[in-house]
Order: sequence, then structure tokens, then C-alpha cells
Amino acid sequence: MSETRQMRHGSSIGQPVTRRDGLLKVTGQARFAADNHPAGLLHAVLAVSRIARGRVAALDLPAARAHPGVVEVMVTANRLALALHPDDKSVPFSFKLDLLQDDRVRYAGQPIAVVIAATLEAATEAAALLAPRYEAGPVEVTLDAPGGYVPESVGVGDPGEMRHGDVEAGLRAAARRIEATYETPLQFHNAMEPHGVVAAWEGDALSLDMPTQGLALTRMRLAALLGIRAEDIHIRSPFIGGGFGSKLLSGPQVLGILAARLVGRPVKLVLTRAQMYGPVTHRSPTRQTLRLGAARDGALTAIHHHVRTATSRHDDFLEPSAGVSHTLYAAPAIATTNEAVRLDTGTPGFMRAPGEASGSIALESAIDEMAHACGMDPLEFRLRNYAEVEPVSGKPFSSKALRECYAEGAARFGWAGRPLAPRQMRDEDGLLVGWGVGTATFPAIMFQAEARAVLRRDGTGLVESGTHDMGQGAWTAFAQIGADSLGLDLDRLEFRAGHSDLPNAGIAGGSGHTATAGGAIHAAGAQAIARLTEIAVADPRSPLFGAGNVGVVARGGRLLRRDDESRGEAYADILARAGLDSVEGRGSAAADPAAAERYAMHAHGAVFAEVKVDPELGQIRATRLVGAFAAGRIINPRLVRSQYYGGMIWGLSFALHERAAMDPRTGRVMNADLAEYHVPVNADVPSVEAILVEEQDPHVNALGIKGVGEIGITGTAGAIANAIWHATGTRIRRFPVAIEELGR
Amino acid sequence: MYDFAYHKPSSLADAVKLLAEDPDAKPISGGMTLLPALKHRLNMPTALIDLSGIAELRGIKREGDAIVIGAMVKHFEVATDPQIMAAIPALARMAATIGDTQVRNRGTIGGSLANNDPAADYPAAALALGATLITDRRQIPADDFFVGMFTTAMEPGELLIGVSFPIPEKAGYAKLRNPASRYSMTGVFVAKGPKGVGVGVNGAASCAFRQKEMEAALAANWSPEAVANIRQPANDLNSDIHGSAEYRANLVTVMAKRAVADAG
Ligand SMILES: Cc1cc2nc3c(=O)[nH]c(=O)nc-3n(C[C@H](O)[C@H](O)[C@H](O)COP(=O)(O)OP(=O)(O)OC[C@H]3O[C@@H](n4cnc5c(N)ncnc54)[C@H](O)[C@@H]3O)c2cc1C
Repeated sequence: MSETRQMRHGSSIGQPVTRRDGLLKVTGQARFAADNHPAGLLHAVLAVSRIARGRVAALDLPAARAHPGVVEVMVTANRLALALHPDDKSVPFSFKLDLLQDDRVRYAGQPIAVVIAATLEAATEAAALLAPRYEAGPVEVTLDAPGGYVPESVGVGDPGEMRHGDVEAGLRAAARRIEATYETPLQFHNAMEPHGVVAAWEGDALSLDMPTQGLALTRMRLAALLGIRAEDIHIRSPFIGGGFGSKLLSGPQVLGILAARLVGRPVKLVLTRAQMYGPVTHRSPTRQTLRLGAARDGALTAIHHHVRTATSRHDDFLEPSAGVSHTLYAAPAIATTNEAVRLDTGTPGFMRAPGEASGSIALESAIDEMAHACGMDPLEFRLRNYAEVEPVSGKPFSSKALRECYAEGAARFGWAGRPLAPRQMRDEDGLLVGWGVGTATFPAIMFQAEARAVLRRDGTGLVESGTHDMGQGAWTAFAQIGADSLGLDLDRLEFRAGHSDLPNAGIAGGSGHTATAGGAIHAAGAQAIARLTEIAVADPRSPLFGAGNVGVVARGGRLLRRDDESRGEAYADILARAGLDSVEGRGSAAADPAAAERYAMHAHGAVFAEVKVDPELGQIRATRLVGAFAAGRIINPRLVRSQYYGGMIWGLSFALHERAAMDPRTGRVMNADLAEYHVPVNADVPSVEAILVEEQDPHVNALGIKGVGEIGITGTAGAIANAIWHATGTRIRRFPVAIEELGR
Repeated sequence: MYDFAYHKPSSLADAVKLLAEDPDAKPISGGMTLLPALKHRLNMPTALIDLSGIAELRGIKREGDAIVIGAMVKHFEVATDPQIMAAIPALARMAATIGDTQVRNRGTIGGSLANNDPAADYPAAALALGATLITDRRQIPADDFFVGMFTTAMEPGELLIGVSFPIPEKAGYAKLRNPASRYSMTGVFVAKGPKGVGVGVNGAASCAFRQKEMEAALAANWSPEAVANIRQPANDLNSDIHGSAEYRANLVTVMAKRAVADAG
């Protein structure tokens, strides 16, 4: 450990380096999966179900096959046999897939056939010519569906019920009690880049251009499904046009691969925007009831957070919304409970802070309602209930600079002097103005990753790890970590990523990619330096000879004596003298169970929002957002700030824009496009600021990194909801806030 | 969207003849509505008759106390034409708010009126100003032209040539746009003109309509206050994911008030 520590703090980590792939992206040279056109490429188009439950009774195959340009139509009958059932979920984080295994329809938008043709247009037309006939059954697609069950677990293995202390007693003892129910909508991912694949078989080897957030897991599952060796699958995923949890292996991508096998030619299959509302996971609606009790001085006596949510009829994923109540506010009694109902929809999944996002908007609204009930400023109320230790576990936090976040955010926003009562502020145009605050939180998660680092005789370095750049800046941040780990300037480092042949970098998810793969890269670099050090200190001809005990520092391509930095030697010279072309280090990283046993590990933040509401129309503008976040070590403040911006904008989207409307009769999404499924545009986001609050965490992992990818969405949505209340005096508990509920 | 014939006649007579010969042919002007409809297979005409080569359909003229606008005049031209800006500035301002820059530079006033989208802007102006729609075979008062959702009084094969707007004493327009599509959720055009006061409402119902209670109130007292307390009944108004019928009813009042203020 001390060995690696002494090599940290190089020149790259902490610098606001611009994206290394930025020029490629703004000039259109970055090749996303669907930009690839291998010779002989055919185009595949999905035909998807228009019913949500039942079976496909007939497809007009002759009509589709007769259409000019059509090469083949893949249906259940001619789909190649698989080595693993598509429902098998033994690979971590996987869901059941719909791969034409039978004529059953489990949700609207499920693939029911694949048309392969010489052109996209021909395939699209032929898919329409299939004119499916169905036997449709009755559907349930909303939380009002009858029945339900109490799940044993939610999210990924979180307990379905958690009780700490006696909530009922806490509520009885309270001077103030509130009970309120909040509803969050069905949401779909809508990454800019649709899910797709360009698949080419060469014998039993498979070459894929395919966006994925988990190269190794994707390869593992593909190998099992296809019955081929993982080493024979080569996935290129250098750029991902947004993943947000939806881009692990999806069914349509497998269908593209099977289509290529069927026709013996490379095939491209890319979902249309509308087809992204079904087979590639979503966030289920939730109905959350919060019961809070507080003493006269505003100290919480109890929190009960109950969630009703939904999963598909055939598979399991339950949005773990109540989890935020475990960690955020101190209360002697906390209970979280869940109920679930099965619906005729695709299976929900990991979507932009799954659980934290939807839970946070409810908890933060309820906390605000309680602050008002206690006659307290909402920020003061949050500070009164500040959790010094993790409330449900009693564990200390590995680090927690939330108090500083509140203070810096409030100062920047100008929170002081906010009138306590709602509907007190107007702007010069007569619009109602309101201010709200929300607390942001997200756990510091780690997966497992490996990396390889090489120092080369020409004085350059190479780092390899199959990391994933979803736009967050992985190409840059990992290179910065790699450069520092090897004591090289950034421009002396070659970084290879985004390919399944490289060391397994785990997944880009759970806001844990930088911590995990960064840790592996850091360790690999440290090992390479350690090997080089061994060579140098053992070589009488080296100025570092015998420096083993005092130690060396690696910087700028040189090893330097720690006790006398004027004595040192360039890497290249050490290697040359030793007659070596290179030295190599390998590293891995994973969560440290001992640390997790001792500490609660979370990133935190405070978000302040200003909204303006037209009193006649109910139209809402989030005119100002200020977020202050503390998430351990910041590898690249420029990238981190833009992660926070993105998260905060998703939070705004959660509060004000996004909602998929289900037709309860057909089970189809009625607004499966970006014209009617609203996401924020620039005009909706006039001003966002993110403050990076200093936080050093010696426990969370070697580099002290927490995650920054998802935390911004939490806190923000609640802050906006609270600001709307403050502007109007109307508490809206159904999200996104509909203008018609305010315009009266 | 699949095979169809394409014709680009250079005279009105040729266009009318082509349409008469093929009942499944459709005229295309800006294509802003028709092309997406073809792509979605909502419409599968055998032939498209492109009107962009016909000189008779272009041009903006002042004829006595009216402004006459050719069917092929684009929204951008309406928004920036000096004669319209001088005579009916509210109409120019309305045109400037249609869709986006691309739509305004392709979409035409004739296409919009012939299409009669419930959320289209112009029909409210045509109703409020008491416009006359001119076709290849007759003249139709606005009151008789807008029949229902996407439906006009025009017969199959009938071609809209232009529209004549009487010049009002004053006129104003206000609308609430759908934040994504920019189409009108509800818009109100008010005019005080030679034929009296007109109040045209778009976006709220299946077809643009006149709000006669407001017209009477404004005739008696031309001021925002005159309409501030007139409630549009919510029955028969549109209800969708963007807003309920009650919300749109509220919008009729608010937009009428703002339109009168806009007119001055
Ligand atoms: C993104 C977007 C946003 C928009 N926003 C708005 C908005 O905010 N407000 C608004 O009012 N409109 C809006 N529109 C509609 C647009 O303004 C066009 O005016 C409208 O689509 C029709 O005009 P066009 O010239 O494109 O007609 P086309 O699309 O060419 O034709 C429309 C229909 O009218 C028929 N037709 C065309 N010309 C004639 C004629 N001379 N005689 C008889 N029939 C004819 C066609 O056969 C077709 O059925 C929007 C459109 C888009 C794509």
C-alpha cells in the first residue's frame, strides 16, 4: 500500500484535461457501433409486437420474403438453436431475453421477427408486410393493477423489508406527523444512441461492433447463449452514445448476431427510437408512501418509507426506491417496506440511479413537508436531522462532507433570507418564484476490474483495460490515472480501452467504473513501477543503486530517490541497460469487504433550485440550479462537473418532463418518441452550476474515489418539487409535475 | 412510404387536371405535414402533385381593404412581408411563431389551411378576421371552410389558391405552445374589424372555432378585463397527455385576455 501511495499525486489526476476523444466526437470521426459497414453488410429490422400479452397467430412470411431486396426473415422456426435458454440469468446483472423462442408475447414491443435485407428501407417495408395477426389476452400495465406481493428483495439483492427501531412508537411519540403518497412515472432510457449491433461471423469467431457497458459480462453471456468460446468473441465498443444502465446485453442485439449467422453475411441491426420503449429496460412507476414523525424541535422520531412498484410478468427487477431512507436522515426508528405487482410490460432494469432517483424525490418532498409542518427552514431542518453515522447500521461514514455541501451550495445560491411561507416571491413579470433544496446521495459501489500497464523502452507507457466510455469521459480519466500510476506525462501514455480482448474492466454502472477500473489501472501501474524499481536499485551502475530502503518516486518518466530527488534515472535508460524492451504490471481492484464492514460509504450533495411559475398557466421554469457535491477524489474536475450537470438535468427531467403514458387497453406506450416523451432541451435549463466540494476518503478505495455519475439526479428532483411548492403553495405529489395541476 | 408518381405542373390548370384525373393523387405544397404522414403510412397517395412550380399560387397583394395571400406563400414570407406587417401585424407575428425556422421556410399558408390541423395557427386568424378562402372553383367564407378535425369544405380534387384577409382596425394573438412540438395547446386570435369583433380559438378543440360570448363582450368593451371572467365550457375540448380539457378551457380565457392586450 505505502508503495503505491508514494507514486500517486502525479501531474494528471486532478487536472481539468479536455476529453481525449472530444475532437473525434465533434468532427464526426468517432465511430459508434452503427457507423460500421463491413463489406457485404445486410440490414436487419425488427418486427415487434403490437399486443402486450398473448401469442402471434400468423405472420405473412410470403409477402415479406417476396419484397425486393429481402434476403431472409428470421422467425421462431428458422432461428438457430441456442446453447443456453434465453431466460437463463446465471450471468450477473442479466435479464431474461426475448429471442424468438416461441410465439408467446410478453409485452408490447417484443421482437417477433427479424427481416434481413439488402437495404434498411427494404427490410423496414418487409417488416411492415409481415402484418402479424395475434391472439391477445387482457393486460395490466399500471400500478392500479389488482393484487401484488411482498418481495423478498428489491434492486440487486437489497432486502425487501428493513426495520430499525420501532417506527410506530416513534410516530406515536411525535409532536408532528405527516403521511403522504408520491407517485413517480414510468420512464424509458432514451439514450441518444439506440441499441444496435454490427455482427460478422468468421467461422465460429464472432466480430461485433456493439455498444455495451459491460464488455466482459456481455461476452460471457453471448458465449453461453451461442455455445462458442468467449475468446472467439471480439467486441468493439469504443464509444457508447449513452447507456444509463440499459446497455448490457439486450435481446435485439443477440437477434442481430443470430441473423448474421443465419444469412452468413455481416448484419447491422439498430433499434428505432420507438423500439427502445420495450425490450431494453425502463424504470417502473412507483407509488411511495412516507410517514414521518418529528419532535417539537424538529428532530425526526420515525421514518417509514413504503414503496409499491412493478416488474414484468416474467422477470424480476424492483426499483429499490426506499433505500435512500436508510442513509440520509438520522432517526431513531426507520422502516422501509415494499410491495410489487407484475405487469404485462418489458422488464424494468437499472436506469439512472435506480432507486435513489425515484426514492429521493419522494423522501426529499416529505422532508420538506415536515420542515414546513415544524415551521422550520428546510435547510435548517435537514441540518437538524443530519446523520453523523449511517442511521440504520450505526456505522461511521468513510467520509461525509455533506455539511460543507449544504454550506457552499446555500452560499452560492443565496439561500439566506428565503421566506418561510410559500407564495411570497414574484419576479418583475409577475411570475411566482420559489426556492427549494434537496439532499443528494449515492452509494460508493465497486465491481471487479483488471488492468495491464507497460513501460516501454522508448520511454512511453501503455495501459490496457477494457473500460467503457459512455460519454462520461472514460478515455480521459483512466488515461490520467494510468499516466500518474506510471509516472508519465499524459502525452507519453497510450491507453487502450473499449475492446473485449483487453483485461476485464468490469462494468460501467452503479457510478463505480472510475473507482473500480481506476483502481485496477493504478495497481497495474504501481506494479510496473515496482518491477522497474527492483531492476534499478539492484543495478550498481544505476544512480538508484541501493535506494530500495529509502524508496523511489516515479515522475515525468524518471525514477528519483525519495531522499534526494536530484539523483534519478530515466525509465528508458534503466530498461536499455537491463536489455529489456519493457516491464509489465498487472493490477486488479474490487470492493474491500473489510472496509465495507467498518464504514458506510456514500457520496453526498446538496442541490438548490429556483423555479418560476406562471400563476395563470401553471407553466414552470427551473430558472436556477446550484448543486454542491462531495464524492471523494476528483480525477478530472471538468468531466466531473459535466457528470453533475448531466445528473442535475436528469433530475429536472424527472421532476418536470419525463413520463411514458401507457394505454391501459392495449398495453402500448402512447408516446414512444422524443416529441411526446419529453426530455429537457437547452431552453429548459437556463442555469446549472456544480460545485466540487473537497472530500478526502482514506477508506473507500486506494484512490479515494466515490462515484459521480448518478448522484446529480438525486436531490435535484426533490429540490425542484420543493421549489414549486414554495412558489405556489401547492404541493404536487405526482411526478412529473403537470402544469394543469398548478394552473388554476 | 413507397412508390408514387411525382408531377410538377407549371400552371394551375394543369394541376387541377392532374388531380381530376387521379382521385388518389394529392397536392403537396411545403410537405411539412404530408411527408411525415406518408412516412407513417397514414396516407398512401398514388401521385404527388407538387404545387411549387405554379406562379398563380404565389404572391402577397393588397386588394382594397384586404390582404390576399397566395396558397404557396411560406410562413416566413407572411412573417416578414412589409404589407402584412403594416396592415395586419398580428398575422405576421403569428406566422413568426409557427414551428421552427425550417418549418417556416417550407410550410405554406395554403397547406396549413387546407390541412386544418386542430392545433394549426392560421385557422384562428382566418375565423377572427372573417377571411375568404379562394379555390379553383369558388370562394368560401372562413366560417364555412373549417368543418372539423383535418377536414375542410373543399371537395376532392379542389385546390386552394389563396386567402383574403380583411384588414382589421386592430388584432392580437396569444398562444401557449406545447413545449416540445411547439404546436399550439390553445391560441386565441382577436380582431376588431370591418365585420365586427372576431375571436378565433385554435388548439383547444377538434377544430378551430369562434368564441362568440367573448366576441360580444369585446364588442361592448374592448379590453382584457371584458373576457377575463368568461369561462369556456370544457366539454368538447381536447384532453390529452399535454393537458386536460379543463386546463385548455382555462387557456382560452387566459389567451384571450393576453391576445386583447397584444392587440392594444
Ligand atoms: C415540426 C413541425 C412543427 C410545426 N409547428 C406548427 C405550428 O406551431 N403551427 C402551425 O400552424 N403549424 C405547424 N406545423 C405545420 C406547418 O406549419 C405546415 O404549415 C403544415 O404542415 C402544412 O403546410 P405544408 O405547406 O407543409 O403542406 P403539405 O404538408 O404539403 O400539405 C398538407 C395537406 O394539405 C394539402 N394541400 C397542400 N396544399 C394544398 C392546396 N393548395 N390546396 C389543397 N390542398 C392542399 C396536402 O395534400 C396535404 O394533405 C408544424 C410542422 C412541423 C413539421
